Amino acid sequence: MTDPSYAGGRVGFQMTPALAAHAFTVAVFLLWAGAASFIPAYVVPSPLAVGSRILELFTTNNYLKHGLASVLHVVSALTAAFVIGLFLAGTAHYLAFTRLLVHERLNRFMNSFSALGWTFLAIIWFGINDFTVIFAMTAVLLPLVLTNLREGFNQLDAEIIEMARSFGRRRIRHFRKITLLLLVPYIAATVRIAYGVAWIISLAVELFGGSAGYGYLLNRARMEFRVDMIFAIIAVIIFAVYTTDRFIFSPLQNHLRRQYAGAQ
Amino acid sequence: MPAPSESESTRTERFRVLDHALGDGMIVAALIAWYIYSTKVPEYIFPPPVAVGKALAGLFSDPVLLVHTLSSVARVVAAVIVATVLGSALALLSYYWPITRDIVHSRIKPFLLSFPSIGWALLAIVWFDISNAAVIFVQVAVLLPFCLVNVSEGLRELDGEFLEMANSFTRSNPRTFRKVIWPLLYPFVIAAMRMSSGVAWKIALIAEVFGSRSGLGHLMYQAEETADTPMIFATCLAIVVLFALGDRFIFEPLSRVYRAQPVAPRV
Repeated sequence: MTDPSYAGGRVGFQMTPALAAHAFTVAVFLLWAGAASFIPAYVVPSPLAVGSRILELFTTNNYLKHGLASVLHVVSALTAAFVIGLFLAGTAHYLAFTRLLVHERLNRFMNSFSALGWTFLAIIWFGINDFTVIFAMTAVLLPLVLTNLREGFNQLDAEIIEMARSFGRRRIRHFRKITLLLLVPYIAATVRIAYGVAWIISLAVELFGGSAGYGYLLNRARMEFRVDMIFAIIAVIIFAVYTTDRFIFSPLQNHLRRQYAGAQ
Repeated sequence: MPAPSESESTRTERFRVLDHALGDGMIVAALIAWYIYSTKVPEYIFPPPVAVGKALAGLFSDPVLLVHTLSSVARVVAAVIVATVLGSALALLSYYWPITRDIVHSRIKPFLLSFPSIGWALLAIVWFDISNAAVIFVQVAVLLPFCLVNVSEGLRELDGEFLEMANSFTRSNPRTFRKVIWPLLYPFVIAAMRMSSGVAWKIALIAEVFGSRSGLGHLMYQAEETADTPMIFATCLAIVVLFALGDRFIFEPLSRVYRAQPVAPRV
């Protein structure tokens, strides 16, 4: 925002960090447009060409189907990773003797195994289809979910849990009514982190192992040297990750932090 | 805090033994199950542990394969160093020149964080052709935000009183940086490099699949095309081994350097 200041009857503008950031954005766009005017389109496409490809991605039926496939892959993998992660983190929390197995062995192994490795193995095991994509994405997301949920379980307020126990002995009821509610802020944080990662890795996994989705489109664009389409798909992913984080997850997490501040 | 009673410590010891019996026992059980399953399915579906072990050993002993392994190592080292230098430079730029704060943290950082690595890989081939530069470019682009976040966090955590004290002794910014800021920032820089090396190994595969004719990623891609499943397993495990070795023999000693060094001994 500009901050006008008056000095000696003349209007002066003070450069603020926000204004500098806007100026930077405009400068980058101008630089891009300038570069695109004398560099071949297959190296740097013009912003206008990329803009029209983005429009195509949202108006052409075929492209919309691919977008929907990517959304489906992301949502399915997130759900699967979440369910498995919650089960494993819960098991390690309630059955202390499984902690080493879950967190020190399984999680470490999963965390250090490459996404591309999972993708290639999944292609060999299951072929090129939606299941392969969801399997590989789930394998990559699982350690992320597990690590975050472990932290959530570790931070549970022991006094509240003990109070709950004094009201009843049914463990499932405690879990549903108390533990799950106390875990909500951590679940929200986990979803927030995993969502961004899921979109980013979906491209790589779909590119090799998918028959639909933005990653598949990216592969076709690569083979046809359609750099404007590569730019457009990347722009859509950045937009999806950034706007969802900024306008959905960030306010949601702030709201939950305020709501559950007393419980943590 | 009262010392645990004998029965408590015996119980704790028993749980520890049970933990290890289950944790390590499951690894042995998984290896046995892997072996049994591999005898029932073709090798290209699920190779036996011995075949994977041989392929893994080959990556560190066969001269032809060793070249691929060393190429990956060299690229990862180069990328981690370049990303740390650039990330630190951006973090310091926003610290010493606050007008650039939003440019770095509200534009460059979120942009780089949400940019897919595969996107960088595809653009790198277009821009740099298949070369070392293409692979290192992809890795640096992906690692840069991690280094930026870590070093920025370090700068945010700087103790204001230390800085004020340093300013009362000298007005020389380079001297204050060298004697006060750098020792305080050092753990964050090492943490950034450590984290980056972990990510770099994973990214190396993607970058090398598209951007190089050598390296573990290239080997893995070739293995996938020829259904050489033992090599796919072996390259994944080689990365786990290389990361663990780097962490143990490079980053552990580097982090100890800081602990051994007194903060700002003479100002």
